[in-house]
Amino acid sequence: MSEERYKLHPISAVMNFIKGLKDLIFPFVVVFVANGFQGGPGENEDWTRFIPYILGFGFLVLILISGIVKWKRFVYWFEDNELRIEYGLFVKKKRYIPFERIQSLNYTESILHRPLKLVKVKIETAGSGNPDEAEAELTAITKEAASRIEKELVEAKKRKQSRVDINDLEEQSFSEKETVSIVPVFKMKQKDLLILATTSGGIGVVFSGLAVFMLQFSELIPYEKIYEEMMVFLKFGFFLVAISVFFVLVLAWIVSVILTTLNYFEFTIWKDDDQIIITRGLLEKKKVSIPIARVQGIRIVENPLRQLFGYCTVFVESAGGSLSDKDQKIRLFPFIKKEKLNHYLVNLFPDLHVESEWTVSPEKAKPFYYRLDFIWMIPVIVGVGYFYFPYGLLSLLLIPVLILFGLWQHRSAGYSIKGNQLSMRYRGFSKYTFMIEKKRMQSVEMKQSPFQKKHLLASFETTIKSGLLGATAKVEHLELKDVEEVMNWFTPSKKS
Amino acid sequence: MQSGPVNQISPKGLKVWRLYGMMHSAIIFVIATGICALNWWLEGPTWLYVVSFVIFVIYTYIFVYLFPKLRWLRWRYEVREEEIELQYGLFIIKRTLVPMVRIQHVDTEQGPILRKYDLASITISTAATNHTIPALRTNEADELRMRISTLARVAEDDV
Repeated sequence: MSEERYKLHPISAVMNFIKGLKDLIFPFVVVFVANGFQGGPGENEDWTRFIPYILGFGFLVLILISGIVKWKRFVYWFEDNELRIEYGLFVKKKRYIPFERIQSLNYTESILHRPLKLVKVKIETAGSGNPDEAEAELTAITKEAASRIEKELVEAKKRKQSRVDINDLEEQSFSEKETVSIVPVFKMKQKDLLILATTSGGIGVVFSGLAVFMLQFSELIPYEKIYEEMMVFLKFGFFLVAISVFFVLVLAWIVSVILTTLNYFEFTIWKDDDQIIITRGLLEKKKVSIPIARVQGIRIVENPLRQLFGYCTVFVESAGGSLSDKDQKIRLFPFIKKEKLNHYLVNLFPDLHVESEWTVSPEKAKPFYYRLDFIWMIPVIVGVGYFYFPYGLLSLLLIPVLILFGLWQHRSAGYSIKGNQLSMRYRGFSKYTFMIEKKRMQSVEMKQSPFQKKHLLASFETTIKSGLLGATAKVEHLELKDVEEVMNWFTPSKKS
Repeated sequence: MQSGPVNQISPKGLKVWRLYGMMHSAIIFVIATGICALNWWLEGPTWLYVVSFVIFVIYTYIFVYLFPKLRWLRWRYEVREEEIELQYGLFIIKRTLVPMVRIQHVDTEQGPILRKYDLASITISTAATNHTIPALRTNEADELRMRISTLARVAEDDV
């Protein structure tokens, strides 16, 4: 067994440094900006006014050194079917990850990695508890080193198999053949990528980023001054304000289009014998693998705009992994024509029933979808109508809008049971379709309000594991006997 | 029609909930008294006394008498060979079904008040959800925990 100890590529020292900088950039900016405001053209010419700069420089050096030290002390090696990592200067930390516990290796290649043919490897384990501990990260290793890890993994698997079977010679050669069979299943077309980018909700992300930025600086911005200037500005004309708002919107949109295009460039799904591999990205190449055995459920999301053009997004709910990762709900198909989806899904998950006969919410349940809204709607309408008398009455238009929306939700609600699979369909604002195997469902809850009881209706929801937490799907206001059918289907002691 | 779970929780649980309710209304009482005192000191309007008194009475009635009673009447649970079924809720009745195979671990918990009444609550955790049966007799809760953990161990399935 090889017990040679491997180091990361020296460039990871630079990356640690950059990462440290990124974490500190905010306090830094704040300190310097605040200092700039206070100091002004002061007369204290002695050296103390340089203190912030000296401190800042000191911090920089510290980060740089810590980056180098981090790289210097980091070693990993393979021993006893485990990946062992050791790091830390004063407090030495060791992490031993048994190969069977490794769920997936995710690769990222940033712009820094690519000219040197390096990758960042994230090792995901099924660990629960502290999300930081659920994974290990090798900041930068050569591609050969990465494939060495993969090879070790495969070999470890084989060793395990050979322990099970005695006459494993045939098997081994057989499985070797199998491991090579990675085939591309799906490639996103350039056209689809373009539409995805232009309709992406990334706009919201950019805006929230702006908001965060503003909030961070809110104490430093001299609002009163801005306010005065705003008044002058307003005199200039409402038109100018509108134009500038529009300009900001367009800019945000363009940024989000570019970001999405970069992120999802050459989006491809590959299928290995027991895992799905997704590669994507232009500047930063990402490779994510999902073990099929870990897939808990499939969620199809159609937001109204995309639904109009027959497109949808498909997420995979996968167990384990780390909470810190924002990509936890893995986008399996970021953007795909709904009619083509079934073909690909069956290809990836042969056991999946994609066609379903929906049991829908009954006619009599219609009012339930908008009735509750009246509770807040009536006071709002009365209030607005009273205070802004003639025009406030326009708020009456809310009623038909909400009723129509409720009816829309009603039309989407339904479920379908086929063998061991439950499909659920419902609408919040977007339309969701969940496909879940019985053995993945953690619990089912049926709910009934007194009003529903009177009309023999009920709602139900089910929870599956997703990441470290759960994901809940819920269909409301169905026929009571239908919900009871679901409950009976789920009850293990009532197997027919 | 399927019959729901059958076991009720201990009547002593009702007492404990009433006790909790009384604690809450004691806080409300303190606040109401404070308002009244302030009102007296500032020579405010008389109706404020009435309002704060009425709010206190209604709050006490709801949280000491009505809600605990309804809640207690609604609560049902049953631990069967292959699943656990719970039914609870004040107005909206919820019925939860958890298969034994999904259960990861079971905890019993006992605070000072529950201990005084020899009660304990039991929490059943799956990989993604938690379900609590409140206020069982301590020995019953322990026994249940043991039973669930042995039953849950029987079948193994991935996640």
